[in-house]
Amino acid sequence: MRGMNVPLLADLLPPTSATLPRAQLPLFAGFTLLIVTGVASIWLAAAGHQETALVTHTLAVKAGTERVLTLAQDAETGQRGFLLTGEERYLAPYRDGQGHVLEAIADVERLTTDNPHQQAELASLRGLVTAKLAELSRTIAARRASGDPAAAIAMVRTGRGQALMEQIRASIARIEAEEESLLRVREADADRFGIVLLAVSLGGLVIALSLGIASFNATRRYTRQLMDKQTELSAINENLETIVARRTADLVQSNDEIQRYAYIVSHDLRAPLVNIMGFTSELDSTRETIAAELQENPRAPAILADYDEAISFIKAAVTKMERLIGAILTISREGRRTFRPEPLDMTRLITDQADAQRHQAAASGLEVTVDALPHLVADRLAVEQIFGNLIDNAIKYQAPDRIGRIHIAGETVGSRVRYQVRDNGRGIAQSDFTRIFELFRRAGPQDRPGDGIGLAHVNTLVRNMGGNIEVSSKLGEGTVFMVTLPKTPPPPARPTPRSEAA
Amino acid sequence: MNSVIIVMIEDDEGHSRLIERNLRRAGVHNQIVAQTNGGDALRYLLGPDGSGEVSSGRHLLILLDLNLPDMTGIDILSKIKSNKHLNRAPVVILTTTDDSREIQRCYDLGANVYITKPVNYEGFANAIRQLGLFLTIVQVPESA
Repeated sequence: MRGMNVPLLADLLPPTSATLPRAQLPLFAGFTLLIVTGVASIWLAAAGHQETALVTHTLAVKAGTERVLTLAQDAETGQRGFLLTGEERYLAPYRDGQGHVLEAIADVERLTTDNPHQQAELASLRGLVTAKLAELSRTIAARRASGDPAAAIAMVRTGRGQALMEQIRASIARIEAEEESLLRVREADADRFGIVLLAVSLGGLVIALSLGIASFNATRRYTRQLMDKQTELSAINENLETIVARRTADLVQSNDEIQRYAYIVSHDLRAPLVNIMGFTSELDSTRETIAAELQENPRAPAILADYDEAISFIKAAVTKMERLIGAILTISREGRRTFRPEPLDMTRLITDQADAQRHQAAASGLEVTVDALPHLVADRLAVEQIFGNLIDNAIKYQAPDRIGRIHIAGETVGSRVRYQVRDNGRGIAQSDFTRIFELFRRAGPQDRPGDGIGLAHVNTLVRNMGGNIEVSSKLGEGTVFMVTLPKTPPPPARPTPRSEAA
Repeated sequence: MNSVIIVMIEDDEGHSRLIERNLRRAGVHNQIVAQTNGGDALRYLLGPDGSGEVSSGRHLLILLDLNLPDMTGIDILSKIKSNKHLNRAPVVILTTTDDSREIQRCYDLGANVYITKPVNYEGFANAIRQLGLFLTIVQVPESA
């Protein structure tokens, strides 16, 4: 399992906002282009609309000039009819034309205010029309006056009226020609605008289409990446769970093996120890015989002293070894013991515990205070052993120069509870913080009885309960042990806990 | 009691000697046959053919250690208690194990007494001497 290729977490995460723009840069550019095309189309369409308006304007100008011509011709037609017949009713077209033709010229003038060339032409046209109207009016007056058409017709025959009319026609033709040419230019402009607009619109359409395809592809690619990553992630999650389960099983197994090993070792070490002890005692019981035999020997006291010393060293060593083996056995048995969790009133439990140790405390003038502590569901015996050991240590390692104070406090931290056993004792050097939890290791001056078992035992218990123990201390000032335990015991790691019958 | 043979099945010869000495000090003068492994012990008890007829008519009292090099004392115990010639012979389990399940199992299989060897020698010697006193008054039936 070691060295397994576990992908980095960063590889598994979907592309973040930081990496997104780079992937989407073409899309971003495309959208910008599309917006530019849109704006251009609108501008071109507006411009095209203006061109159309100009074309309409040209047509209006042409219609105006046509009307001028029609009205002028109407006036002349009316005049001719009257001159021939002398009847007033033939004058109707004349009156109409005479009444409106100047107005019509004014209309065209208004339409062409922006064109000085046309204005000039229109001014000359107005002159011609005015002159024509004057000529018409003169001949009509002459006819009315004489009653004989001859004189009036003679006036017509001078050809002046005809010449004026031709000039009017020519002028109108020029105005129209000018407008025609303008119209052609404008139509060409409008056509060009149309083509450009079409091209730009088509371009826009193409860009929009490409963008659509690109977006679709990008989205699909991104989605696929996401899905791939997700699949990968869930696979790894499953894998992780398997790894954790397998490691937990491995740990439980190796823990079991260690416990078993410790048990067997301590057990098997005891057998030879019984022999050493037994035969030492046997040897000791022959001492009297030896002493009797050596009675005459002057070196007898020295020999017997050596003998006694050897025996006492062997016995002391064996006793010590016996205690150590007993401790290993206890701890290994503790590890195999099945906890029986029950709700514990911790304030009560620790107060009772402190009371039980108070006789010792009272002897050395020690003060023990217990706060209201958060409750706990745990194995009573284990909890008693943990805090019994910690309180015992606090009592054992008081500072010689002051009254000992032990304070036990507790708090709830999420789903766990943390208890503190604080003392003002002699303290522990920081370099010994780890060492004190190891079996058979002790710290500080070795002036108190003990084998270095208590805290190792506490550590094992706390860990087996799914908690942890920490120490903070200052040499010469005091020590705080912090025991953190789950509020309720975790589910057993092994499905069938090894049960040891009571 | 004089005809009773004490069969001591104990792999540790030192223990064996210490047990014997302390039994003698308690006034046990019976023949003590020491066996240091399971195979030899079974051959002695059941005979070469394994039938146990060899023990027929003997008065046997068996001191049995559970930790043996070649087999467990439990195996020997169950063989003794399932053999028609041997099943009446009192078996005293004398071992260092104080595992409660082990103790229960031995009694279930028909062990008559279970004694945990005390670790310190004072206790050990004392326990053996008391056992010896007990053995001097116990009645041992003749094997069938």
